[in-house]
Amino acid sequence: MLLAGGQGKRLMALTANIAKPAVSFGGKYRIIDFVLSNCANSAINTVGILTQYRPYLLHSYVGTGEAWNLDERGGGAAILPPYQTREGASWYEGTADAIYRNIEFLEEQDAEYVLILSGDQLYRMDYADMLRAHKEAGADLTVSVMEVPWEEAPRFGIMTTDDEDNITEFNEKPAEPNSNLASMGIYIFNNDLLLKALRAEKEDPNTTMDFGGDIIPKLLAQGKKLLAYRFAGYWRDVGTVASYHETALELLGDNPEFDLYQDDFPIMSNTSVQPPHYVGPNASIDDALISNGCKVFGKVKHSILSDGVYVGESATVVDSVLLPGATVEDGAQVIHAILGEGATVKAGVTFGSADPNEEIALVGDDVVVGKE
Amino acid sequence: MARAIGLINANYFTKADPAFTLGRPLASLPVLGRYRMIDFALSNMANCCIRNVGVILPTNYRSIADHLGAGKEWSLDRKNGGLFLLPGSAFGTARRTGRFLIKDLLDNKAFLERSRTPYVVVSSASFIYNMSYTELVDAHEASGADVTMVTAKASADYDDMCGVVAEDGRVTGLTSTVKLGDTAFMDLFVIGREFLLELLENYREVEHLDLFVALHDDLKDENVRTYEYNGYSAAVLNGEQYFATNMALLDPNVQDKLFPADRPIITKTHDTPPAKYGSGCHVANAMVSSGDRIHGTVSTSVLGRNVIVEEGASVVNSIILQGVTIAKGAKVENAIIDRNLTIAAGTELRGTQDDIFIQQR
Repeated sequence: MLLAGGQGKRLMALTANIAKPAVSFGGKYRIIDFVLSNCANSAINTVGILTQYRPYLLHSYVGTGEAWNLDERGGGAAILPPYQTREGASWYEGTADAIYRNIEFLEEQDAEYVLILSGDQLYRMDYADMLRAHKEAGADLTVSVMEVPWEEAPRFGIMTTDDEDNITEFNEKPAEPNSNLASMGIYIFNNDLLLKALRAEKEDPNTTMDFGGDIIPKLLAQGKKLLAYRFAGYWRDVGTVASYHETALELLGDNPEFDLYQDDFPIMSNTSVQPPHYVGPNASIDDALISNGCKVFGKVKHSILSDGVYVGESATVVDSVLLPGATVEDGAQVIHAILGEGATVKAGVTFGSADPNEEIALVGDDVVVGKE
Repeated sequence: MARAIGLINANYFTKADPAFTLGRPLASLPVLGRYRMIDFALSNMANCCIRNVGVILPTNYRSIADHLGAGKEWSLDRKNGGLFLLPGSAFGTARRTGRFLIKDLLDNKAFLERSRTPYVVVSSASFIYNMSYTELVDAHEASGADVTMVTAKASADYDDMCGVVAEDGRVTGLTSTVKLGDTAFMDLFVIGREFLLELLENYREVEHLDLFVALHDDLKDENVRTYEYNGYSAAVLNGEQYFATNMALLDPNVQDKLFPADRPIITKTHDTPPAKYGSGCHVANAMVSSGDRIHGTVSTSVLGRNVIVEEGASVVNSIILQGVTIAKGAKVENAIIDRNLTIAAGTELRGTQDDIFIQQR
């Protein structure tokens, strides 16, 4: 069950028109590709995708789930937006509420285990390994955790464990943490227990229907066996414009922490068919990721160009992320910036600033910067 | 209802030295970085909503079948119709003339008989162009012709292209070679489906001939007309044409003509990441495909997918097929490098502008 309904409000213009999981990332990907690829690479064939905010592009992008090998008999990508019932109509309120309202879907699948995921995180994980740990320990619930620096622990849901990694305590954003194991919001439940816990939670008048805030503390109090599954490696939740920009540019360089080229665990995507990209005779490219369909005539340094981006003659793009179809006209400069899908910087115009104290310059989709 | 089905013959070879196809059928020859020759005819069909296409295969069909799969990319994984891989005769790759052997068409009559569309668009896999087949079928329908042959002005002398002699658009003669400026047949024609079936039956005695060789003697009786195509097109029938066509793509005007946004050239997609440019690389006038990693120098070249150009390596005026590694300090100039090869560190492979060096697997 993949939670993909969040607004991603702090991504500002990037999520004005589309849900955060559908935001373009890393040149040819969208954020949800990473989690869906994890599913595909973990041989998961049924994924429910819970959507709510601005879902159209997300729905059309996921489609039948074919790009992630989900178009399979007996499996599939099921898009699960909120729906009306005899009792009325309302939105998903809280992570557990979204799952609760799709209990019928879970019952229909008749699966033994349910994996709950967020559609807006970037990492590689073989969930089959996590499930194996869950089964071997005979756990009721397994929570994926990672060590975070102690000073950052107060920002996370923190799990305290015994020496067999059983969770003994859970504290949401503790002021004085007694552990630095942060929950990644990735859970494996025994399906029966999940259904029972969700139904019980719904009866609680004070519930916020949140896994971290309500369900997990109650299961702990009931003495259920909660296992912490330790994950080490690259994991990012791009919450803000600055972290989006930083995380994207981390893909550059000779040995990036997240290697897009790891071919035994490919990141799959639902790409449009575009020709190879063209680099013009006067172009200069240094330290960049460039996608199909681009045309580069100017200078590109330490930047990412997504599908179909155009960089004109004598134009300069530095420390920037250009989303699909963005255009930088002749002689324009784009520095330390993000251009939305289909955005244009007119000829000769400078957008962004090399001053490191300045915020990242950002324009939304289809915006034109400079005189028409 | 659909007006036309498509039929692509991939069971032929050209007069040229076969080295240039690097051991593959021409239809699956990699071209322009990420494509195969057959993508052009097939995409043109897909883009005008043809959803029933037969592909007549040569005996060495593995790479074609692998590339086409179930035809999903071209919207040919249909409940009704879709992609049909058809058997070609054993003569196909042995002969060197014509691309429409009557026997190949006759052997696959069932494909034609099972359709109900009025027309068939028939093509080889030797030409690169992006054409509206809708307009082509419209023109065929409007003219009332039995056969409409698509032609282009020959851009050079070709010993392997069929020439067309026409008066007021009516074909009166056919030649087996063309000279610069002649009207050349683009291996593409529209024909009434039932008319084609009749014609094939009539030619059963001469099934070893090319359809147009047989038709030559009947031009007085049959209404065969030309459709002149004025857009960009390129024939790939020998090594020189293969090299020149790849290099022509380095012209942004050609790119725009071949890849308009509303009529994409479709190909099999892979999960390859965007191309990565290292610090200190030098790339100019190049087509670069996804999955490439460039740390050295690339100029006036076309790179297929997953090509690695290491530090100090250089690729000049060359075509590099997918999966090739040009190791540190290696130099490649005026060359075609077949897929998955590693050019060892420090090696130099050089052809000349007039004699392109071909490194086969």
